Amino acid sequence: MINEPTPAHLNQPEVRTVPYDLIKEIAIAMVVSLVVIIGFALFLSSPDVPSVTIQSWSAADPADFVTTANDELAGASTTANYGPPYNNGNGSVQSIGPISPQSWAGVHANVDQPHDFVINPLKQAAGNDSQLTTAIGAYVAASEEQQGKWHDAYAKALKDAKVSNGQVTVASGDYGPVPQMMNRLLQLAQTGALDGLLLSSDHFYQTDYTKPLLFMNDGGYLAGLAQDQHLTGTQWGMMNETGLYPGQTWLWLYTLWYQVPPFNGVSNADLLVVLTMVILTLLLMLVPLIPGLRDIPRWIPIYRVIWRGYYASRSRELS
Amino acid sequence: MDQPAGYLHWGFILISYPNLILIGIMIVLFVMALLLPFPGHASGDKGKKS
Repeated sequence: MINEPTPAHLNQPEVRTVPYDLIKEIAIAMVVSLVVIIGFALFLSSPDVPSVTIQSWSAADPADFVTTANDELAGASTTANYGPPYNNGNGSVQSIGPISPQSWAGVHANVDQPHDFVINPLKQAAGNDSQLTTAIGAYVAASEEQQGKWHDAYAKALKDAKVSNGQVTVASGDYGPVPQMMNRLLQLAQTGALDGLLLSSDHFYQTDYTKPLLFMNDGGYLAGLAQDQHLTGTQWGMMNETGLYPGQTWLWLYTLWYQVPPFNGVSNADLLVVLTMVILTLLLMLVPLIPGLRDIPRWIPIYRVIWRGYYASRSRELS
Repeated sequence: MDQPAGYLHWGFILISYPNLILIGIMIVLFVMALLLPFPGHASGDKGKKS
C-alpha cells in the first residue's frame, strides 16, 4: 500500500493493507504474453531479410565492389584511416577533451586492409595461376608512389566503368597490374570464395565477421540498402526493423539524440550520446536522493488514480 | 510483412507506422492499467486493517 508521509498519515496508529497475490498476477501476465507472442509468431512470422555478403554485394554492384577494393589497396578507405581498435589511424576516433575510451582501449583487432582484404586472398587463390602471381609480384615490387598513381588513375576510370555480365571494364590507361588483380578479386567475390577467405581464423567455428563487415561498410552498396530500409543513424534507424515489423521502440531515447543539435552535427556523436545516457541513467537511479525529481509523484499524483478507492474511503473517514 | 513500411515524417521525427501503432497500443494499455479496477478489489474499502 502506498502511503503519503503527511501529518495526517503520521497521526494514524494503523496502516491499512490490502492482500494481493502478486505471484498469481505475474504468472497470468506471463502466460498471456506467451500466448500472444506465439500467436503473432504463427501468423506474422519474423523479419527474414537475407544477409548481405561479399558475394551478394559483388554480384549486385560489381563497380562499387571494385572501386572499394581499389580504395582498400590504396589505403584510401574509411577502414584504412579508422583508428583503434583496427589500426593507428585517427579518421574515426571519438573524444571529448581528454576522454577517449576508443584510444584508451588501443589497437586490439588489427586489420591490415590491403593485405587482409586484397593481397592475401589473391595469393591464396593464385595457386597455379602464374599470371596472377606475376601481377601480385609486380604490384608489391612497385614503389608506393607508383602504386598511388595506378590507384588514382584506376579510381578515376572506374567512375565511367561499364558493367557487363558481372564484369567491370574501364577505358585504357596506365593502371599497372591493378585491373588484373581487381578482376580476379571480383571473380573470387562473386563465387563466394572471398567471404570464406575473409572469415578464416584460428578458431574451429568462424564467427568473426569483422573483416567482411568493414570491407562492405567501405562501399556504397550496404549503406544504400540501410538507407532504403530506414536503418541509418540519421533515420532513427536504431528503433526500426525491416519490412512491416515494429522495431526496437524502447531505444527511442538513444536514437533521438542523433537527430537533434549538437549531436547531429559533430563527429563524436556516439561518445556524446553514450555520456548523455550514462548521466540520465544515473539521474534515474538516484531519483530518491534528488530534491525536485523525487517530488514529481507528489506534483503529479498518478498513484492516487491507481489507489483511488483507498483515497476515496480515507477522505470519507476523515470528513 | 516483408513489404517496406510507411513512415511518418514530422519535423525531425521520423517513425514507421508499425512503431507508431505499437507505441499507441502501449499508451492505451498504460491508461487501461490506471483506470480499470483491480480484479476482485473494485474498491479500496474492502481492505482490512492490520
